[in-house]
Amino acid sequence: MDQVLIVKNSAEKGLIEFLKFLLEKDRVSGVFTLIKTKKQDDYDYALITEPELLKDAFPLHPFLPVNAGKILSNFTDLKKPVVAVIKPCELRSFIELVKRTQGNLENFLLISFTCGGAFTFSDTVENKTDTLLSDYWTAVSNANDFKNIRSTCKACDNFIPMNADITVSLFGNKNIDSSCKMFLNSEKAKTMVKGFDTEILEDQLDKTQIEKISKRRTEYKEKLFNEIKIQDTGLDGLIDEFGKCIGCHACSRVCPICYCVLCDFESSTYDDSSSMLESELNRKGGVRLPTDTVLYQIGRLSHMSFSCIGCGQCTEVCPVNIPVSVIFRKIGEKVAKIFDYIPGKDVAEQIPVTIFKEEEFTTLGED
Amino acid sequence: MKKSQIKGAKISLNKNLKETIVSILKKMFQNDCCDAILMPMQVPAKDSYAWVLIKDKKLIDDANPIAPVMPVQGAKALSNFSRKGESKLKILAVMKPCEIRAVVELSKLNQINLENITLISYDCPGALSIKNYREDPDKAEKKFTDMLKKPEFLDNYVKSVCKNCDNFSLLPVCDLHVGYYKSDKNNVFLIPNSKRGKQNLEKLNMKTPQDLSEWMQDIEEIRKKRVKNKQERFKQIKNMVEGFDSLRDTFTHCIGCHNCRSACPICYCRQCYFDSESAKTETDMMLLNAEKRGAITFPLDRIIFQVGRMSHMSLSCVSCGLCTDACPVSIPVADIFSYVAENTQKQFGYKSGNDKTEQIPLKTFQLQEVGGIKELVKDAEG
Repeated sequence: MDQVLIVKNSAEKGLIEFLKFLLEKDRVSGVFTLIKTKKQDDYDYALITEPELLKDAFPLHPFLPVNAGKILSNFTDLKKPVVAVIKPCELRSFIELVKRTQGNLENFLLISFTCGGAFTFSDTVENKTDTLLSDYWTAVSNANDFKNIRSTCKACDNFIPMNADITVSLFGNKNIDSSCKMFLNSEKAKTMVKGFDTEILEDQLDKTQIEKISKRRTEYKEKLFNEIKIQDTGLDGLIDEFGKCIGCHACSRVCPICYCVLCDFESSTYDDSSSMLESELNRKGGVRLPTDTVLYQIGRLSHMSFSCIGCGQCTEVCPVNIPVSVIFRKIGEKVAKIFDYIPGKDVAEQIPVTIFKEEEFTTLGED
Repeated sequence: MKKSQIKGAKISLNKNLKETIVSILKKMFQNDCCDAILMPMQVPAKDSYAWVLIKDKKLIDDANPIAPVMPVQGAKALSNFSRKGESKLKILAVMKPCEIRAVVELSKLNQINLENITLISYDCPGALSIKNYREDPDKAEKKFTDMLKKPEFLDNYVKSVCKNCDNFSLLPVCDLHVGYYKSDKNNVFLIPNSKRGKQNLEKLNMKTPQDLSEWMQDIEEIRKKRVKNKQERFKQIKNMVEGFDSLRDTFTHCIGCHNCRSACPICYCRQCYFDSESAKTETDMMLLNAEKRGAITFPLDRIIFQVGRMSHMSLSCVSCGLCTDACPVSIPVADIFSYVAENTQKQFGYKSGNDKTEQIPLKTFQLQEVGGIKELVKDAEG
C-alpha cells in the first residue's frame, strides 16, 4: 500500500491547490507546468513564481509543445527545487538526460500522472483541442483511448510514471471531476506535503485495470510495428521509407535524447570532399544531394534508439510525414532488449553503450 | 541586356515541356556543354523528389527538370556539393528561379563557386506545398502537368509565396532560360542570357533569331497580376507582424524547433547562433526573469529567434517558401519573411539574387547608409 493524498476538487484543480501551497510556503522556487496562453488552443510550458498566475495553469493538459525533459535539462543546480508537472514519457526522457549528465534530479520535485495520451500538433494548430477537451477527460476517466490522441500515445504502454515523486491518478479514475488522488512515492514528496491540510490515505493503483490498458496499448503498438516493413526489405526498404526525407533534422532537434549542441551529422565530419563525391559520381552515375539521407537515420538510430522513450515528437514535426517515432521505437525496443535495458526506468542503470563488458555479443553474426 | 535585345531559339514542343527540356539537356550533354547535370528526380517510392547530380546519361530520362514540388532548395543541394573543396566538374543546374537566386546569394556568401556552373531556369508556374503533394502524389502530378499544358501562371493550387512571386521568369543572373506561354502551345524558347549561355548554344549549333517581345509582354502581364496578389497578401501579413503583440500572437504556436532555418537556403551556418551555447539563458537569469514577471514561458526567446533570423538573412531572402513547408505548426513563415525581406531590401536598394557582382549590403561599408532611417523611426513613432 502507498500513501495517497486526497484533495476534494477535480484532479487538475486539486493539483493546482497543492502547487499553490508549495509556492506560497516557499518550499519550491517555482512551478513548472503547462499554462494556457490568451490564444485559443495554445498551451506552453511555463516557470511560474507568482502563486496568483497558477490560475492559468493546466498541469494535466494533454499536449507536449516541447518534450519537457528537454527544458528541465536546461536548469543548472538550483538552491531550492522547482516542482515540475510532466508526462511519464517526458519524465523518462529526463532520466535518460540525467544519465548523460544533462540534468540534475535534485533540482526538481517531479509530479507525473497516469497519462491518457496527448493531442497532435495538427489538431492544436487547427484549434480543435479546446472543444475536444471534455470528451478527452471522459474517455480518460473511463480508461479509454480518446480517438484524437497521437497514435504514438495509443501505442504507449508506459503510461504509469516511473521515478515520479508524486503520481496523480487519472487514467481510469472515475472521480477525476471530484477528487484529486496523489500517490506519494518518495521521501521528498512526503516531506514536501507536510502541513498541506488534507486527508492522507493508504491505497494503490488498480493493477487489473492497468494490465487491461497495457494489453490494449501493446496490441496497438504491435500493429503499428508490423506496418513498418524495413526489417524485411534491407536498404531498398530504408530508401522507400526515408527517400522523401528532406534532411531538415527536425526529428533530432525535438528529440529529448538528442541533446548534442551540434549533431554529428551536421558537423564537418560528414561533409564529403568534392573529389570523393566525384568518384562516387563516376561509380554510380548519379549522386543524390544533399548526401547521406539514409545514413543520418541509421546513425541517429545507433546513437539514441536504445534510449528512445517513444514520446512521438519526431513524428509530429516531420514535414514529410515519415512515421519516425514508430520506426525508432520499433528498433529501439529491440536494441534495448538485447542489452536488457529499459530507458528512463532507473537513473542508476548505465546506458548500454557507455559501459564495457568483456563478454558481450559473443554470438553476434551467427544467426 | 536590354529587353529589346532578348532573342531566343525556337524549339518545337516534343510531347510536353518536361520531355522537351530533357531532350535539350541530353543534347547539351552530348555536345560537351557539361560533365554532369543537377536536376530533380522522383524518389524510388514516387512520393517526393530529390536532387540528383547525374553523370550517366541514361539517368536523365528518370529525372524531371520541372518538378511540381521543391522539398529541398536547389541552392542547398549545390552548396552541399562544393562545401569541402572546389570541383573542376562542369555542372548544369536546372532550377526554379528562386533557387537560382538563392544560388547567387550563396555564392556571395562564399558557399558556392559559380565558376563551373551553368544555371538554367524556366518560367515557373509555382510549386505545390509538400503537404499538398504528399497527400496524393499522383493527383498532384496530374494537376501540375495540366498547369503546364495551359500555362496561366496564376494557379491557386501552388504555395502562397508562389502565387505572389514576381520573379518567376527570366532573371538577370541565369545563363539559359526556357520560356513558354499560352499563346504558343507548340514551341518553347531557349534564351541565352550570358556569355556562358551563348557559348553553350553555339556548341549546340543553335541560332537565336526568334523575337520574344510577345512572350515578354505576356510574362509582364502575369507579373503585374502577381504583384497585385503580393500587395494584397502583404496587407494581411503587415497586420500579423507589426507591433510586439501581433508578433507574439503570430508565433504563439512556435515550438522553437528552428526547422524554418534548417530548410532555409540562405541560413547556411553550420550552427545557428540561436542554437549555440551563447544564446542559452542561464538558470539564474531564468528565475530572475520569472520572478520579475511572475512567470516565463518556454521555449525561451522564440520572438528573438524570429527577429534575429530576419536580421541575419532577410536581405538575401528569395521567398522560396521552404520555411513554411518545414514548419510543424503551420505558421506562414515564408509570407512573413517575404514581406519583411521586401522592405529591408528596399531600404538598402538591394534585390536578392539579382546581380552576381553586387555585394550583400551588410558585408559592405558605406559612410552614407540607411539615410531614411530617421523617417522610418518617425513613421513608427507617429
